[in-house]
Amino acid sequence: MDLPIPDSAALAPAPTGPLILALPKGRILAELGPVLARAGIVPAADYVDEDSRRLRFETNDPALDVVRVRPFDVATFVAHGAAQIGICGADVLMEFDYPEIYAPLDLGIGSCRISVAEPAATAGQDDPSRWSRIAVASKYPNIAQRHYAARGVQAEVVHLNGAMELAPSLGLARVIVDLVQTGSTLKANGLIETEVIAHVTSRLIVNRTALKTRPEVISAWIARFRAALAEA
Amino acid sequence: MTDPASPFAPPAGLLPAGLMDLLPPEAEREAALVEALMAGFTRHGYERVKPPLLEFEDSLLAGSGAAVAEQTFRLMDPVSQRMMGLRADTTPQVARIAATRLGLQGRPLRLCYAGQVLRVRGSQLAPERQMPQAGIELIGTASPAADAEVATVAAEALGAVGVAPISLDITLPTMTPTLLDLSGLPAERRQGLAHALDRKDAAMVAALSAEAGVLAACLPALLAAAGPADAALAALAAAPLPQAAREIADNAAAIIAAIRRRAPGLRLTLDPAEFRGFRYHVGVAFTLYGPGRSGELARGGRYLSLNDEPATGMTLYPDAVLRAAPAAPPRPRLFLPEGTPEAVAAGFRAQGFATVAALSAADAPRALRCTHILRDGQAVPLPKE
Repeated sequence: MDLPIPDSAALAPAPTGPLILALPKGRILAELGPVLARAGIVPAADYVDEDSRRLRFETNDPALDVVRVRPFDVATFVAHGAAQIGICGADVLMEFDYPEIYAPLDLGIGSCRISVAEPAATAGQDDPSRWSRIAVASKYPNIAQRHYAARGVQAEVVHLNGAMELAPSLGLARVIVDLVQTGSTLKANGLIETEVIAHVTSRLIVNRTALKTRPEVISAWIARFRAALAEA
Repeated sequence: MTDPASPFAPPAGLLPAGLMDLLPPEAEREAALVEALMAGFTRHGYERVKPPLLEFEDSLLAGSGAAVAEQTFRLMDPVSQRMMGLRADTTPQVARIAATRLGLQGRPLRLCYAGQVLRVRGSQLAPERQMPQAGIELIGTASPAADAEVATVAAEALGAVGVAPISLDITLPTMTPTLLDLSGLPAERRQGLAHALDRKDAAMVAALSAEAGVLAACLPALLAAAGPADAALAALAAAPLPQAAREIADNAAAIIAAIRRRAPGLRLTLDPAEFRGFRYHVGVAFTLYGPGRSGELARGGRYLSLNDEPATGMTLYPDAVLRAAPAAPPRPRLFLPEGTPEAVAAGFRAQGFATVAALSAADAPRALRCTHILRDGQAVPLPKE
């Protein structure tokens, strides 16, 4: 009666294999260390070494392996069930909105916000209610489109993967929608933050099928992370 | 000299996104699987109907069809000048048949169907735009026994094609909306709470429901109850539910007891707070999961059919079932040299061989994908290369 959400079982590891925890490299990795330690997860030593060529690391628990991927890919791995649990920013979940992902725990780390920013020179110079479309540079095309569509404006998104702050000054876009932590990058590039779309922290996410078919194991891990948070 | 291919023509063999050819042996496996599932339904008294691929959109998108309206391909009927839709789901069609042509037949009505459905967009997770469905509908009764019947008939059909172990997840899509309606919270808070429940964010649910009186006591308990059915039922029984919610919980308990009687070995989980993806369900909803990561194999639950008739049903996804079911050994192919008497060939076909007759001396058994060759009246296996 509903449309299926199939799963590519052809590539599936054995159901009894170790659980996979997908972790984001980059910004969050350092903040994540204490959380993992309190949850009793000790990944192999080279896990924190960003130069290590390894992508998959065993942990002190033989039933748990860790993979280190880009923040956006954490959600993809978990949605497809390639990893059963993961940690990623709420920004990624807002962008993709996978029905296959639950986000049971706000870890309270990696705090930042998704904001609209534009050059100080143009900010507040015209009336946004007269706009019918706007050029936006962002790595969050869906968030940007939704944000502007909600006020009746068509967002034409230039999809960039970095250095968004350059886009307005070089004529690629009028505004940018990006993650802002301190605002110093914006300031250095002559931009000002005009609107906050959402506040963002990191979440523990789990795959829906895994939670439904292995409820005891997955719930135990959620409980461990919850206890680790309470300790902090 | 041949012309270079036009730069505007698609490469040979390219299909539109989300569509595919099924080749041997998968096409045959899928067809056999669908028939095996249907045989399982028929054994329980479900009679087969075959609605058309296309029909007028007003009937196709009525009732439960509204949930797939945005996924429905539409085209104008040049004859009637009315808009038609290509089915994205078969349930609304069966509901139409039950309400019209079979409207006078005795209730409860047991119907089953198998066919392809199309949808406008695939997702990154499920890129297919055409997929098979095989399902059952039980129309005209609101009893818990009916819900238990559709769930166990579907699970039994899966078991009969070799899928094991199966687990059945039961959700109560009306529970959360009922509790939120009773809470008297302002719409904004209610939306935030629904969002937190949807994500299964326990801390946020506890924080948001803290001042909501009756909810504060039961929402976090409901969320924590999700898991194996017996423990979940015990948690539900202990939660201080208001009357309307208590009725939903009691109904679920009755259905689970009925399922246990019919299928004692089936693994059951219950998630009372879940309401994601069950937009038109008015009672319990079901999801059947296969082993390991084979994922969702079937979905269903209680809904209102046309004329507000109570109904419940299950839809199986044969493409997903195909990935979860063990592959049956392929039918052996026997190469018949030229001049083999027809009676000999028929004898081997009766034994289960597919016979491949040589039409010329140039035909080679291996090139024709044969596994056996006929020599001195015997089917001799061809050596593996």
